[in-house]
Amino acid sequence: MEGDVVSDLVWQLAVRIFPSGGRSVENGGHGGQKKQGDATLQRAHQYAMRIIGSRIAPSLANDEAAMAEAIKRQLVQENRSADALSFADLHRRISSYSGPGSIENRWALLYLLRAIAEDQRRERAETRGTAIPYTSTLSGAAAHGGLPSFPSNTTHPKLPSFSPEPEVSPGRSYSSRNGTPQNQSWSQSSRAQSPSSPGGVLILTKDDGNAKAAAMREYLEIVQSESDISEMAIVRDVLYACQGIDGRYVKFNKDADGYMIDESIKVPKSTRTLVRRLCEVGWLYLRVKNHISESLENGPLEAIGTVGQAFCAALQEELADYYRLMAVLEGQAHHSIPLMVGADSANSVGNYLSLRRLVVWLGEPLVRMRLMAVLVDDCKTLRGGAMAGAIHMHAQHGDPLVRAFLRRLLRQVCSPLFEMVRRWVLEGEIDDYYGEFFVSAQSVKAEALWREGYQLQTAMLPSFIPEPLAQRILRTGKSINFLRVCCSDQGWAQAASEAVAAAGASASGGILGYGEIEVLEALVAEAAGRIDKHLIQIMYKRYRFPEHCLAIKRYLLLGQGDFIQCLMDLVGPELAQPANTLSSFKLSGTLESAVRASNAQYDDGDVLDRLRVRMMPHNDGDRGWDVFSLEYAAKEPLTTLFTEEVMGKYLKVFNFLWRLKRVEHALCATWQTMKPNCMIARLWSNKEGGQSQLTAVLKRCQTLRNEMNHFVTNLQYYIMFEVLEYSWSNFLEEMEEAHDLDELIAAHDKYLGSILEKALLGERSQLLCKTLFSLFDLILRFRGLADRLYENAREVQTRGDSSLRSKGRSDSLTKSRPGQRKLSTAQLSGDFLGTLGEEMDGVAVEYSSLLEGFIAQLPVQQHVDLKFLSFRLDFSEFYTRQHMGMSTTPIRLHRTPIKMQKPSFGAEPGLV
Amino acid sequence: MPREIITLQVGQCGNQIGMEFWKQLCLEHGISKDGILEDFATQGGDRKDVFFYQADDEHYIPRALLIDLEPRVINSIQNSEYRNLYNHENVFVADHGGGAGNNWASGYHQGEQVEEDIMDMIDREADGSDSLEGFVLCHSIAGGTGSGMGSYLLEALNDRYSKKLVQTYSVFPNQMETSDVVVQPYNSLLTLKRLTLNADCVVVLDNTALNRIAVDRLHIPNPTFAQTNSLVSTVMSASTTTLRYPGYMNNDLVGLVASLIPTPRCHFLMTGYTPLTVERQANAIRKTTVLDVMRRLLQAKNIMVSSYARTKEASQAKYISILNIIQGEVDPTQVHKSLQRIRERKLANFIEWGPASIQVALSRKSPYVQTAHRVSGLMLASHTSIRHLFSKCISQYEKLRKKQAFLDNYRKFPMFADNDLSEFDESREIVQNLVDEYKACESADYIKWGMEDRGKQVSGEGNTSGTVDSRVAPS
Repeated sequence: MEGDVVSDLVWQLAVRIFPSGGRSVENGGHGGQKKQGDATLQRAHQYAMRIIGSRIAPSLANDEAAMAEAIKRQLVQENRSADALSFADLHRRISSYSGPGSIENRWALLYLLRAIAEDQRRERAETRGTAIPYTSTLSGAAAHGGLPSFPSNTTHPKLPSFSPEPEVSPGRSYSSRNGTPQNQSWSQSSRAQSPSSPGGVLILTKDDGNAKAAAMREYLEIVQSESDISEMAIVRDVLYACQGIDGRYVKFNKDADGYMIDESIKVPKSTRTLVRRLCEVGWLYLRVKNHISESLENGPLEAIGTVGQAFCAALQEELADYYRLMAVLEGQAHHSIPLMVGADSANSVGNYLSLRRLVVWLGEPLVRMRLMAVLVDDCKTLRGGAMAGAIHMHAQHGDPLVRAFLRRLLRQVCSPLFEMVRRWVLEGEIDDYYGEFFVSAQSVKAEALWREGYQLQTAMLPSFIPEPLAQRILRTGKSINFLRVCCSDQGWAQAASEAVAAAGASASGGILGYGEIEVLEALVAEAAGRIDKHLIQIMYKRYRFPEHCLAIKRYLLLGQGDFIQCLMDLVGPELAQPANTLSSFKLSGTLESAVRASNAQYDDGDVLDRLRVRMMPHNDGDRGWDVFSLEYAAKEPLTTLFTEEVMGKYLKVFNFLWRLKRVEHALCATWQTMKPNCMIARLWSNKEGGQSQLTAVLKRCQTLRNEMNHFVTNLQYYIMFEVLEYSWSNFLEEMEEAHDLDELIAAHDKYLGSILEKALLGERSQLLCKTLFSLFDLILRFRGLADRLYENAREVQTRGDSSLRSKGRSDSLTKSRPGQRKLSTAQLSGDFLGTLGEEMDGVAVEYSSLLEGFIAQLPVQQHVDLKFLSFRLDFSEFYTRQHMGMSTTPIRLHRTPIKMQKPSFGAEPGLV
Repeated sequence: MPREIITLQVGQCGNQIGMEFWKQLCLEHGISKDGILEDFATQGGDRKDVFFYQADDEHYIPRALLIDLEPRVINSIQNSEYRNLYNHENVFVADHGGGAGNNWASGYHQGEQVEEDIMDMIDREADGSDSLEGFVLCHSIAGGTGSGMGSYLLEALNDRYSKKLVQTYSVFPNQMETSDVVVQPYNSLLTLKRLTLNADCVVVLDNTALNRIAVDRLHIPNPTFAQTNSLVSTVMSASTTTLRYPGYMNNDLVGLVASLIPTPRCHFLMTGYTPLTVERQANAIRKTTVLDVMRRLLQAKNIMVSSYARTKEASQAKYISILNIIQGEVDPTQVHKSLQRIRERKLANFIEWGPASIQVALSRKSPYVQTAHRVSGLMLASHTSIRHLFSKCISQYEKLRKKQAFLDNYRKFPMFADNDLSEFDESREIVQNLVDEYKACESADYIKWGMEDRGKQVSGEGNTSGTVDSRVAPS
């Protein structure tokens, strides 16, 4: 239906253009055209129809303005300014007209008109009107970038790229009939074009075209005379050169490092340059080719590696493509291009493959070859993952062609790598003979397997695998190996196969490869998730990591108070001996009895077996206290977590806590010697005691003990609440959340680190720690003093007491014979009390200054929050008041009374 | 070396609270009434051997001596379901069974007479322990046996086991109502002297306050002895939790007491407990957090010692030391916040002559005893206001003494023979001295106290405080 309409319209057009047959058409109306025997009309119609029927679009931008401008310019060139003006006016009118009946395809219309005008002009010029106008090519238009030439014998429009068609769709522009502005303008312009042609037949002059053709011929002759060799030969040579073979004329020039036409041969400069350019492909080809052959044939396999081999293979595949192209081109080179009818002027392109065509043909291969050459250059020294990474970097290119090419290449290059990853992640095997994988193994002892056994070779890590993923990959394989080597576990295999199944399902059978990073990620995630979970399970359940942590907390961090107390009671006397006299065997026995005597006996036998005494290396003069410590001998695979370094840290904490405990123990013991119901306590508290030196010294002793006890107790509270328990509860939480061994190790390290740091054992609190330790030493010194004081006092007491026994117990202290008292008092008093008092003063002064220093340093610590400690130590603001200078240190205060009393003491009638 | 503690329950009251205490311990450790470990009690972690030892048949026997001069209470124990719990060798009832007749002197004298028997029992128990920590004496200070015989035992223990700790849970009489024991002030005073001189740590359980707490806090109109005794047993068991559930700190009685008693004489501790419930009483269950518990423990109404102080004096009263034993599921980090809050609000007033703070011991709760509250707390504190309790004793004694009332009962015994009442005077002196020392603790210059001319100080201040208290007493 539509075809009929179009055909009809075209017929009308033909009739209008060739008025000779037009009238009868008008008379005949539709369908009647066949009766008209006018052959011209028939052929014109057929031609038009064929053009319309073809699906080929012109390579023209449908720019109406440009077209109109071109027409105007042409008119002006032909000295028809008036026509140009009227054309402009007409064009403006047709453009501004809108509404019903307006023309949409104005551009097509203009194009058609122009083409016809051009055609007619050419017709006139070449055939002087004798030839039928439409048989001529529209090559004039082609020269303007318009319609290409149309060979008159319609057998072969061979080259596909030259297929023109004006953009005319059967549509409105054709449906417009006579009387429309278009019609008007058409008739006008056609008339304007050829004012001298009555009835539309163009009478042409013959001068123009002929002159041009002649000039062209002449030019070609000149060109040919300039060169010794034909283009054909050059083309052939170029093709050879492109395959890295020296041709007859085109040879490899070492100096210029490229193929070029022999200097001696005379060719136009442009040809020379063109050849040079074309032969770049050959040069590049040689590089690639050389690389491949070097790599595959000559080089040692280790130097190339599987990835390198894959790379070469991929390159070779690409080269095979290139060879195919070359073969085609060579074939083409031997066929000459079908000549155009009457195109004697075109014998310069006598061969289908001209140099210029080659440029087109070799354009894309050149890009590829260049890329390959660049890759080859870049990757010469690289291997394995690094190579893949380098290629990947090139793939980050905006040009889709380049990208697609490199992707294809990379898929092949990376396949060995991905196979390695797969085996590593699922089987824990490093399938890497040439050191190309980004995971490398070291042979280490089992306990170091996790930390040191495998490393990420960042150099070998292709850049398309992000670091976290690589870490994950590393860890997964490491987990498998850890399970296999350290835990002798086989369960991972099931986890791995489950992972494959799950990953396979999720990635719908995706095959690992470059560009499928999500597939890789999914596989790694599945495998890692399952294997890590399995590993953590094994660590928790079979090797009971949490239990061991708890045991360490209880024994090395003194959580099991009753045990520690027993141990201290039992081991205390021995530790007072010089360190070199101690037998660790004996101490182990003591440890065992402490275990049996405390609640530790109910603990797991396995745990208790691991608890051992450890004697640290000792120096001369060290006491047992300085070298004694406990250690916890963890077994594989827990040694991965409890490494020597970690245990060293635990040891440090233990020594600190043990020391603190010892100080507390000492203070308690001191309290016990001066406890409320002891005789001496009653002695001084008795009202008759009045003023006495002993009273003063005892009281000092008590208050000082109280201060020290307060300090030690609160320090212990701090250690317990803020350090141990706090870190522990955090650790428990993190342990719960740990997904893999690395996280577990990190959590454990953090736990230990936080204890060390908060217990002031860290690097940055050395000063505080030193002060603390001198405080401890001072307290122990104080204990010695207090013991001496009380021992002496008790001695006197019992002596005095025993003599009073007969009098009855209840009143033994109050009802006394003065003479007896005097004696005992005299013994206790004098120099002994004096020196002791002074020593006590010394300790007190030193203690308060040390403590002041300690408290003052607390708020300055940046790295650890000691607010709790300082606030606890000064809970009743005792030290604040002291510091404020509301009073000088109270310890100093009562230094005076003692000294004043000393001389008056002898005059005292009785002490009690 | 479990640091064993031997409990001596002396007299009617002592045996009653002692029995409640053992009931509670058995519950908490999952020990049946016959001393056999219950099947469910497998969770461990507790230390039973501090208070119990195991017989050959593995059943647990309390390290307890049941001592009385009259058989009534002990008989009732031996007829109760717990009869098989105790070691029958450890029960001492006087042959004559006549008791002490609420006479301190009688109790003391009888104690002297049976010393050998009782010391044999004590020695046997002491020999049965690896590392005896000390003794706990449960008694009341008002009656005859607990006060008199208890006093004698204190002296004897002090003599023989001078290095061991002696702690007492001493029930002070209810001074709000007229007692059936008219000589109560005499007995109290005489006992107080021994508590001052021969005990290391006295946990004061004031019947007045216990009654008040029962009435006010637990809404029991007329609390029975059983009910107040259950309060006592709660306090006693709670104060020993850190010994029974070992942790990082406070694992022994010495350590616990050493930081509570900075100066030897001020070794009288008051207690507070929250939240309180009496057996199966459907009390409104409150939300308990560490802060709540610690704050409530500082409130006077929860303290189990009545305060006879006037407002002015109360404001001067100071804590010498505080230990809060918090039981239950406690996040250790809450402790810090609670302490901070308490300090900000200045809820506790501390002595000025030395550093002091609220110590907090966290202890596990027995898994076998279901309690409605998540967190419970016991406070052990040394507070200077306790001197008013002693002043009150003195003033009541003086009233009686002025009248020379009931002294004949005492003169019958050797100590007071020949009208020698110097023991009374001496006891009064010592208790007064104690009151003074507590008072001195309230000032910042306590350190210097006792260095100066103390004679003057004592008489001057002693009298004033004494008279003040006598006037204030009944409020």
